[in-house]
Amino acid sequence: MNKTILKIRNIKKIYNNKTVLDVDCLDFQEGKIYAIVGPNGSGKTTLLNILNLLENPDEGQTFFYGQEINYKSNYHILGIRRQMTLVNQNPFLFHSTVYDNIAYGLKIRGIPSKIQQNRVRNALSMVGLSGFEKRKVNQLSGGEAQRVVIARALVIEPKILFLDEPTANIDQRHIDVVERIIKKVNKETKTTIIFTTHDLSQAYRLADEVVSFLEGKIIKEVPENILRGEIIEKDGLKWFKVAKDIKIAIVTEKVGMAYIYIDPKDIILSYQRFQSSARNSFSGRIIKIAEKNHLIKLEVDVGVNLVTIITRESFQDMNLNLGSKVYLTFKASAVKLY
Amino acid sequence: MDFIIEGVRKAFQLIFSLDREIFNIVLLSLRISLTAIILASFLGIPLGFLIGVKDYWGKKFTIALVNTLLALPTVVVGLIVYSVISRRGPLGVFGLLYTPSAMIIGQFILATPIIIALTHSAIQGIDRRARSTALTLGATEIQSAWTVIKEARYAVIAAVITGFGRIIAEVGAAMMLGGNIRGTTRVMTTAIALETSKGEFGFGIALGIILLFIAFSINILLHYFQSKKV
Repeated sequence: MNKTILKIRNIKKIYNNKTVLDVDCLDFQEGKIYAIVGPNGSGKTTLLNILNLLENPDEGQTFFYGQEINYKSNYHILGIRRQMTLVNQNPFLFHSTVYDNIAYGLKIRGIPSKIQQNRVRNALSMVGLSGFEKRKVNQLSGGEAQRVVIARALVIEPKILFLDEPTANIDQRHIDVVERIIKKVNKETKTTIIFTTHDLSQAYRLADEVVSFLEGKIIKEVPENILRGEIIEKDGLKWFKVAKDIKIAIVTEKVGMAYIYIDPKDIILSYQRFQSSARNSFSGRIIKIAEKNHLIKLEVDVGVNLVTIITRESFQDMNLNLGSKVYLTFKASAVKLY
Repeated sequence: MDFIIEGVRKAFQLIFSLDREIFNIVLLSLRISLTAIILASFLGIPLGFLIGVKDYWGKKFTIALVNTLLALPTVVVGLIVYSVISRRGPLGVFGLLYTPSAMIIGQFILATPIIIALTHSAIQGIDRRARSTALTLGATEIQSAWTVIKEARYAVIAAVITGFGRIIAEVGAAMMLGGNIRGTTRVMTTAIALETSKGEFGFGIALGIILLFIAFSINILLHYFQSKKV
């Protein structure tokens, strides 16, 4: 049985009268990898900042190895903060050499320079950048910079390593490298790793446990209807292109690769295409039917699989079966960026 | 016209013969202004940092006040310090008036707002992530502050140089507080004023050339640090 390294109880964070984080209970076990998933603005980064003691919650308690964190004592906070570290989404490197950056955490802890040199060398080799000590940081590529900040975090041998969207801003080749590093660090040093991501497949690939957030709260299941695709602009309108022929109308400022999420309850199911203000209507066949708490969950293949939820009464009235041809209709505003 | 040409000729003669009096005056100027700028840096850089990173009530007012002090006339500083340290003033017992210390105080007051204001804007130009990165790597508040100042090092050095440029060239406070006593408080600017009024153009021009040379060097240095990306 692993020890609980970090737990939070009834944490609330409020910005401008808006509750951005509201978590009753969340425990992290020593030595495991956790992925925190959720759309933009779901409170993931705020949670990491609170767990890393960079921000104080407005309410609630945090425990590190069972010891409650006293937010009033800077000294106490520093002692605990020094046992964990956070790697930011857009890594910041001090304007100096790779060596100076990685040795930073050791220097401020007063570790002798002989030991510093050894540990920096080991950390660089851990991320596959041996021999980079003397490089200036402005000579690094984005992926290399990301690996340097991971090395800078690892060198202090943290009990917990937080990574905020570790692969959001780097190319595919480096994503693989960073994922391998995360696995390796966890395996070799038994460091607890807590990272946030948009990429559900990455979350399940790397993590022992996935925690899903929506609007500042933990949700039990990862939401249905998360799709990966590209937002394109055509004739002044925005479309989310999923597969070759599937284009979903969306209301957003963004373009480029993205994840979207459509609440199954926002999708209307019908036998015939009907006239409405909703801009999205697709036909397909039902491929899966499941019942849960008086509701029926239907999976429909319209080129991609979409899930819709209807009541048992509607299900019986419509006389639906596996293979029935149906239309799914939803508004462009129901399509949310994940 | 002749007196100008004669003056310039004499000036170069004085400079190249390494005239003792001239160089003593230059050295004294540098000693006073360097002491003042070091003291002003010790106060101005931390204050500029604090105004830059802390949110507090009255922050806008402080910034406006510091910016006003940038335009402080040197004679007003001379007047205020004079009234405080003259024999009848509250600090009269220390007998500071007409000493280099009095001039250092005056120049310190002139330089500090410049360093505060420019350090403040230097710190604002630094990525906010510098501080949070330092903190998450285990820095104390003071260590993270030092890291941010180091990130802003070129702009902070530029702030100090700008302050130095202002005080080495000022004459009002130096005259009122130092009294232009030969060998003790006679600095370049006060000497130029005196010698010119005496008709000793050569001496005045020689000091003027050196002062311009110092100002020029300061500007080259300033340009170098400002062009360096942090």
